Amino acid sequence: MYAIKAEDLSKTFRVKVKEKGMKGSVRAILHPQVKEIQAVDNVSFSVEEGEMLAFIGPNGAGKSTTIKMLTGILYPDSGKVDVLGIDPTKNRKQLAYCIGTVFGQKEQLWTHLTPYDNFRFFGAIYDLTDKETEMRIAELKECFELGAFINTPVRNLSLGQRIRCELVASLIHRPRVLFLDEPTIGLDPVVKENIRELIHQMNRDYHTTIFLTSHDVGDIEKLCRRIIIVNAGQIVLDDSMEHLKKCYLEKENVHSSPLSLEDIIMDIYRAERRATGE
Amino acid sequence: MLTAVRRQLRVCMLSVKYNIMREMINPVTFVTNIIFMMLNNATILVQWFILFRLRDDIGGYTMKEVMLLWGLTAASFGLSRVLFARAFSLSELIVSGKLDSYLVQPKNVLLSVMTSATNISAIGDFLYGLVLLFACGFNVGRFFLFLLFTGTGTVIITAFALILGSLSFWFVRMEMFGNQMVSGMISFMTYPDGIFRGVSRFLVYFVIPVGMAVYHPVHIMTEFDAGMFLEVTGYAVFLMIAAVIVFYRGLKRYSSSSLMEARM
Repeated sequence: MYAIKAEDLSKTFRVKVKEKGMKGSVRAILHPQVKEIQAVDNVSFSVEEGEMLAFIGPNGAGKSTTIKMLTGILYPDSGKVDVLGIDPTKNRKQLAYCIGTVFGQKEQLWTHLTPYDNFRFFGAIYDLTDKETEMRIAELKECFELGAFINTPVRNLSLGQRIRCELVASLIHRPRVLFLDEPTIGLDPVVKENIRELIHQMNRDYHTTIFLTSHDVGDIEKLCRRIIIVNAGQIVLDDSMEHLKKCYLEKENVHSSPLSLEDIIMDIYRAERRATGE
Repeated sequence: MLTAVRRQLRVCMLSVKYNIMREMINPVTFVTNIIFMMLNNATILVQWFILFRLRDDIGGYTMKEVMLLWGLTAASFGLSRVLFARAFSLSELIVSGKLDSYLVQPKNVLLSVMTSATNISAIGDFLYGLVLLFACGFNVGRFFLFLLFTGTGTVIITAFALILGSLSFWFVRMEMFGNQMVSGMISFMTYPDGIFRGVSRFLVYFVIPVGMAVYHPVHIMTEFDAGMFLEVTGYAVFLMIAAVIVFYRGLKRYSSSSLMEARM
């Protein structure tokens, strides 16, 4: 059964263009010019329930825009989105009960509150009773080893502790699909490994579908069994991790050492850049 | 339906509670902000005392009516900024793409956004409004009318700020215009409407909604008029619906951003 289905998804942003200097500023007032940027261009894919998918691409490829359309943050210009049978553009609230989101670059916790108070707040947001929230906090506290800092204000936590709390906040309502947008950004290797293990555990124990975007090859390699690479708003590769590595094994002959996943991804990015003339 | 409303209110109240808790981290700043706002408001009223020593009537208002006008303005503006402070900085949230975290929550986006911040000095405004009401002499009927009009005033001020803030979905750099319009509204609210003639009178009744927020209510509290009462409540409902429509129309144009941010 599909957890996510996107059909011919497109999104264009209109950006004002200004020539350099004061003259350019004045000209922009008198003759405003607008440039259209195609962030996502006819993207179609589906994700099975319980699957762990890496959705990657270089900066500005359209990854975050796609995630934002899947979660109901942005409205697509055209195409269809279906997440767990719900259309995010029509039933955003209903969908929000079934999904969790972690944006590594955007914090959703209240920094002056303790993680415990934050989790209570998120429990209320997802309509959990006090008893349900307490039970869930106890369960996740143990799983994510939050005991030592659950009553320390978030602003006093380390980045790794904060990300763990962000994950717990997004899991308080047992989401069926978890969208992770660069969840390990800025973390040290040990904490990264720790977070990856926790994400893996969630998928294993609760059959949670994981939709991951990351620039960290370690995240992709250790978590995902399937990879979608996007560039300039289009899908350039959709393959299983196993198949992707197998296909690139032939290239080992021309390289002095075996290709790592990072090499393979870099190869694909470079080929795409040459093709699009960037 | 009722359960959904109850749950939404629970989240809004928690949000306001947590905002106030944040401000109370430093109790000295918290208390001094409130007290100094009250003192600041009180100093301006001294000017009116001096003016009324020179004349008995200014723009059709006596000192008591000016106090009611100031009281209602302070209470409405104060309550609006305590409960819905984010409505006054909506432009910034839209432009910097900070609505994302509210859009992935299964709650009303507009209410969640509006209640996500509070202005502590505004508690001083609200309390000052109540002090002025009692200074005018206690009257049960007037007390309840004052509370009701504080409610309608809060709705009108918040809705006006929301409409101006929502314009940022369509136009860039609208925050300055919005701030000026809200400041203009607050300035007009502190003068008797009798001094406005011609264009300025048209402005305060039909462009900047000062007439319905405070002038009509003060007239009703002085001499009850059922027609005016209906006009004020009807207008508050109308403006609230208009603000909701404008916000949600604009939300479809929201373009988010990839700026790094923290919820402070």
